[in-house]
Amino acid sequence: MSELSVKHLLGIKYLNKSDIQLIFETADHFKEVINRSIKKVPSLRDITIANIFFENSTRTKLSFELAEKRLSADVINFSAGQSSVKKGETLIDTVNNILSMKVDMVVMRHPNPGAGIFLSKHVNAAIVNAGDGAHEHPTQALLDSYSIRERFGVVAGKNIVIVGDILHSRVALSNIFALKLQGANVKVCGPKTLMPKYIESLGVTVETDLRKALEWCDVANMLRVQNERMDISYFPTTREYAQQFGVNKALLNSLDKEITIMHPGPINRGVEITSDVADSDQSIILNQVENGVAIRMAVIYLLASKIK
Amino acid sequence: MNILLKSAKIIDAGNSNLHLKIRDIWIKNGKIEKISKKIVPNAQTKIVDNKNLHVSRGWLDTGVSFGEPGYEDRETIKNGLLTAAKSGFTDIILNPDTHPVPDSSSDIIFLKNAAKDSATTLYPLGALTVKSESVDLSELFDMQNSGAVGFYDYKKPVSNSNLLKIALQYAQNFDGLIFSYPLDKNIAGKGIVNEGPVSTKLGLKGMPAMAEELQIARDLFVLQYTGGKLHIPTISTANSVKLIADAKKKKLDVTCSVAIHNLVYTDDKLESFDSKYKVKPPLRGKADIKALISGLKTGVIDFITTDHRPMNIEYKELEFDNAFYGTLGLESAFGVLNKIFDTETAIALLIKGRKRFNITDIEIKEGANVSLTLFDPTYVSEFKKENITSSSKNSMFLDEELKGKVIGIVTKDALLIN
Repeated sequence: MSELSVKHLLGIKYLNKSDIQLIFETADHFKEVINRSIKKVPSLRDITIANIFFENSTRTKLSFELAEKRLSADVINFSAGQSSVKKGETLIDTVNNILSMKVDMVVMRHPNPGAGIFLSKHVNAAIVNAGDGAHEHPTQALLDSYSIRERFGVVAGKNIVIVGDILHSRVALSNIFALKLQGANVKVCGPKTLMPKYIESLGVTVETDLRKALEWCDVANMLRVQNERMDISYFPTTREYAQQFGVNKALLNSLDKEITIMHPGPINRGVEITSDVADSDQSIILNQVENGVAIRMAVIYLLASKIK
Repeated sequence: MNILLKSAKIIDAGNSNLHLKIRDIWIKNGKIEKISKKIVPNAQTKIVDNKNLHVSRGWLDTGVSFGEPGYEDRETIKNGLLTAAKSGFTDIILNPDTHPVPDSSSDIIFLKNAAKDSATTLYPLGALTVKSESVDLSELFDMQNSGAVGFYDYKKPVSNSNLLKIALQYAQNFDGLIFSYPLDKNIAGKGIVNEGPVSTKLGLKGMPAMAEELQIARDLFVLQYTGGKLHIPTISTANSVKLIADAKKKKLDVTCSVAIHNLVYTDDKLESFDSKYKVKPPLRGKADIKALISGLKTGVIDFITTDHRPMNIEYKELEFDNAFYGTLGLESAFGVLNKIFDTETAIALLIKGRKRFNITDIEIKEGANVSLTLFDPTYVSEFKKENITSSSKNSMFLDEELKGKVIGIVTKDALLIN
């Protein structure tokens, strides 16, 4: 039986093509499971998972928790707001304390890039990165690619544009790594102020004209403008941002083809995309959310099988 | 004191009579008594006859941090100076990287006193501004009279151009040396590593090379207007080297230094998110390293420094963003430099800087005050944690192969043999 090449899921850049293939095939199975009347399998009855969130999250946390419960794992939740982290405890101490309670796997979201990698070197548990600063958000990229695969049958050869705040986005980075690994063509689009100067070194091209980008693509992945990560103002107003980089239905209708719209959520309606786009048939935003659970079940299942 | 260095090969390019010659050197009462092909010791003489014994003028580091007062858990002055001595440095210039910072004459006197029983001599830098807050100038004249050899707000840029102007003008009356840390704070933003493909891939906040260069360009403009003596510590980019080269062509009185680790490692090292590589200025690219090495060879860059900064594990072994800046440097300095350059060049760099900092020059000749470093340039070893004398162990050179080892130092007060 095939298995993942890694012990942890720290980022897409540490995976190979067959890992992604394996995760997708496993997710296919779990997607069928979560659409049954009994949505649960007993696979991980002997596994305990800690969801450790040092940053606010609603959907990612829920999605992980649901995935873990659907696999019958024991789950504990911990978030920084209610913890000793605020009292000055270090990350290693916090996690080791939790692990002393016999936890097998840690799903962690953290504001610092590389926090999961750091942790994986210092504690004895499988680590799943649920977002580390502006570094990676691997399960998001996996579910995005999985949703593209579901829509088109393949990812290879598809034209994907990622629109918005590339500078502060772990979703953009993980998506770029995942899409390139699977042979898709990737452009990034957004204001220059939110575009890392060296982004093309990752094998993508920069397009600052949204219409041109949309005309080129099969899929537009619209990122949220992350005001909370910005230390200064990178554009004058969200109104002006929306004028240049927001997608509305009129713009979509004026294109020669029907493109697919994705969004990792939560949506700022009226900024990145208007409501009529978010709620249209072209949008697969809610499919992404459903696929998120299947993908996370697959990741956790495959990593747990390496613990055993 | 009665010491005989037996069959020592003298590396002293500034002295053609003795350079590369093998001689016995007899040291008595803090002075070089005799240099000759064969000296017969008397019964009281301590003989140093290590294998492959080489000797040079004592080494100087133009920028070292310890911690005392305030951060004694990082390093004390006494143990810091012992580390320096074991690393071959007879003299070190101490960064004002303490809490509180030395911004008065009595602070400088405290540092000098704390150092006075050590083999290595400590030359303190005073804080340029009161509490290093970049608002009001400290009492520079008074500090200089007490032994400060320059004025520096440690790793803090002088962001207010007028403050730099006033400092450079004011210090001219007493020939004071003003440090300006090369960083435009606004351009650097929250950047913590070099901006480039690596920072992009890792999602770490990058600071563009331009943040350093812009500040240097400004410094040089101000210097051209004011006159005075300016030192720019720890430059790290290729364009910075160009800017300094141009300024020197214009005869501006500017010197600069480079940290040894910036000559060795690129930001590729960050891929592991290992905070031992977190330094300020950050590790840069290959082209920068090439330009920095060439800058040292041509003399555009005046001095090397280890930029030694002991940091206790609680502040270092953290998520990369939260870890403190800095690496140890003293103990690996020779073994690293001696790999980048041939031994003669490495030694030439290690003895440079005394004149700039108004430190009495030294010579290898009969009758001179003794200040010598003893070393073996060919001995190869691996740099291990257990060999570190410093109280902190945050070296980015751990487990690296070093070429050459320090045998010891002889200064006018002490002989220290490893």
